[in-house]
Amino acid sequence: MTAARIVMNEIKGYHRFIKFLMVLVGAAALASAVRFIFGLGATTNLNDLYPWGLWISFDVVTAVPLAAGAFTIGVVAHVCHIKKLEPLVRPAIVTGFLGYSLVCVGLLLDLGQPQRGPYVLFNWNVHSPMFEVSMCVMAYTTVLFLEFLHPVSERFGWHIPLRLLRTLELPFAIIAAMISTLHQSTLGTFFLIAVDKLHNLWYNPLLPLQFWLSAIFTGLSIVIFEASLVHKYMGQPDESDLLATLTKIIPWIMGIYMLVKVYALAFLSHGPLFDRPVLTALFSVEMIVGVLIPFAMFLTKRIRTDKQMQLRAASLVIIGLILNRFNVSMFAMHQPGQPVYFPNFIESVVTIGIIAAHILFFVLVAKYFPIFEHHPEATDYTIPDRFRKIEKHGEAHGKASEA
Amino acid sequence: MSSAPIDYGKTKTFLIDTTKCTGCRGCQVACKQWNQLKAENTHFFTGEGYQNPPQMSEFTFTRVKFKDYQKHGQNEFAFYKEMCMHCNEPACASVCPVGAFKKTPEGPVVYNAKKCIGCRFCMVACPFGVPKYEWSKAFPLVKKCTGCYSRVKNGLHPACATACPTAITYGSREEMLKEAEKRIAAKPDRYFKVIYGKEEAGGTSVLYLTHQPLDELGFKPVTKRPLPSYTWQALRLVPGIFLTVGGTLSAISWFQHRKDRVRKEEEEQQNRKEGNQ
Repeated sequence: MTAARIVMNEIKGYHRFIKFLMVLVGAAALASAVRFIFGLGATTNLNDLYPWGLWISFDVVTAVPLAAGAFTIGVVAHVCHIKKLEPLVRPAIVTGFLGYSLVCVGLLLDLGQPQRGPYVLFNWNVHSPMFEVSMCVMAYTTVLFLEFLHPVSERFGWHIPLRLLRTLELPFAIIAAMISTLHQSTLGTFFLIAVDKLHNLWYNPLLPLQFWLSAIFTGLSIVIFEASLVHKYMGQPDESDLLATLTKIIPWIMGIYMLVKVYALAFLSHGPLFDRPVLTALFSVEMIVGVLIPFAMFLTKRIRTDKQMQLRAASLVIIGLILNRFNVSMFAMHQPGQPVYFPNFIESVVTIGIIAAHILFFVLVAKYFPIFEHHPEATDYTIPDRFRKIEKHGEAHGKASEA
Repeated sequence: MSSAPIDYGKTKTFLIDTTKCTGCRGCQVACKQWNQLKAENTHFFTGEGYQNPPQMSEFTFTRVKFKDYQKHGQNEFAFYKEMCMHCNEPACASVCPVGAFKKTPEGPVVYNAKKCIGCRFCMVACPFGVPKYEWSKAFPLVKKCTGCYSRVKNGLHPACATACPTAITYGSREEMLKEAEKRIAAKPDRYFKVIYGKEEAGGTSVLYLTHQPLDELGFKPVTKRPLPSYTWQALRLVPGIFLTVGGTLSAISWFQHRKDRVRKEEEEQQNRKEGNQ
C-alpha cells in the first residue's frame, strides 16, 4: 500500500505533458488488448491486398532507422575516438534501446502468432530477409540493453558490472555497427522481393545500400534532434558545438546517398519512372525536402553551427526518412485500381502510443538515471579503469541526484 | 530450404486448358470439400463479373474467374481458374523467416502451419497474390492451396483435377509442357501462343493455355526470373559485409587509439623533462 502511495505521489509531481503521454500509452495498451481479443482483421484495416500496414511501415521499417542514433554516434565517438562527443553517447544509447524495445513490441503486436516469436531462433532460413532482421534485432536489442546497464549500474553503484561494461564499451560499439549495418540494409532487401509491386522510382537492386546510408545520416540527425530538444525542454547544457562535429559528417553521407540514388535511378531501374503523378510528387517531396534542402543547410557553415538551424535541418532529414520508408513500404506498393489503405483508429492509437511511450520512457529514464552527466572533463575515460576513479564518480552522481 | 536439388521436369504439374473450361466450377466445390473449407456468405455481382466468391480467401483456395468478351459480334465467356501456381522456386518459401513453406519433390508447395509465426511476408512476396490470412481469428495463420499434397503423396490426383470434366490435365512437368506445345501446334488458331507458367517466376507447376492475350484474361505479368534470386543477390553478401565492417572499424579504432596513446606518452615525456629541469 505504501509503495503504491509513493509511486502515486511521485506521478502526481510529474509535468502535465508526462501525464498526457501516460494517458496515450495507456490507450495504446488498451487498443492492443482489443487486437488480441478480436483479431487483426476486426481491429485493423489490413486485408489480403494490404497484408502490411501502419504497424510494419512505421513501427518496424521506419522506427529501426530512427533508432540508428546509438550505433552511429558509437562509431563516431568510440571507434573514431572523438572523446569530446562522449556526452552525446549515453542519451543516444537510451534512445536506441527504447527504440528497439518498442520495435519488438510493435512487431509482436503485428505477428499473427506472437507467442511463436522465438521459433525464428530454431528454424533458420538464411534466404529470408525477415529471418536476418529478426536475429539482428534480437541481438542488437541485447547489446543495447547491456550498454544501457551502464547508467543503471552507475546509479546503483554496482562496481564490477560497471568495470566490465567500461572495458567492453569499444567492442560493443563495433558489434553494434556490424549488426546495424546488416539489418538496416536488409530492411531494404525486404522489398526486393516485391519485383512487380514496388514502383520503379524506389525499386532497384541498390535499395539495401540506400536504406543503410539513409539510416546512418538519419541516426546522426536523430542525435542532433534529441540533444537539441533535451537542451530546450529538459534544461540540459547546450551541446551545439559538439553537434557541429556531427553536422560536418552528415553531408558527406547524404552526398554518397544522392549519388547512389541517381546512379540507381539512371542505370538500374526498369520501366517507366514518372508515370504516376502522386508517386512522382511523393518522390520529389522526399528528395527535395528530406535530402536536398538539409544537405544544402548542413553545407552552410552559419547554419551548421547555429543551434536553432541544426535542429531544423535535422528535423527535415527525419521527415524525409519517414516519408521515404512509407513510400517504399506503403505508398509505392499500391497498385493502380486497387482500393487505398488507410490505418484505422485502433492502428493509429497503437502507433501514437508507441511514439508516446518512447518519449515518456526517455524522460523517466533521464529523471532517475545519470545519462546526461557525462562530460569528458568530469569523467576519466581510461580503459580499463585501474584506479577505481569511475566508481567514485558514480557515487558522486548518486549523491547529486539525491540532493 | 530443401536439401536435395529437385528435378523440376519430374514434378507433378497442372495443365489448365482454359479453352476447354466450361466454367462449371466443379473444381471450386471439390476443393472446398477435400480441404473442408467453410462456405462464404457472398453476393452475386459484387466482384469483377459473374464470378463468385469475389476473390480467393482463407476459405477459398481456388476459383474460376469469368471474363466476358465479344467474338464475331457474340458475347462469349473466357474462364481462368485461379490457384496457387506452385512455383519451382517459390518466393513464399524464400522469404519465410521460419521456413514454413517448402517445395516438395512431388511438385506442390506446402505450408507447415505449426512453424508459422504469422508475419505475412509470404503474402507480400507472392507475385500471384496466393497466400491468404485468417483475418477472422485473434491468432491467425496463413491459408493456401496445398496442391492436395496428401492425395498426391498417395498416388491420387488433386481434388480439382479429379473433379474437372474437361480442362485440367495432371502429370509430370516435362510431359505437360510437351502436351501443351503439341496442342498449340495442332490447333494454332485456337490458342494464344504462350504457355503461362512455363517461364513465369522461373517456372511453375501450373501451366495455362488460353485463346486470348494473357493480360486481357487477368493473368498478372510476372518476371521470368525466379523471385528468390532478387533478394539472395543482396543477402548472399551478408557474411562478407558483416566481417568487413567489423574489420574496418576495429582497424580504425586501433589506429585512433594508438594516435592518442602516442600523444599521451609524448606529453608525459615532455612533463618529465620539464620536471627534471
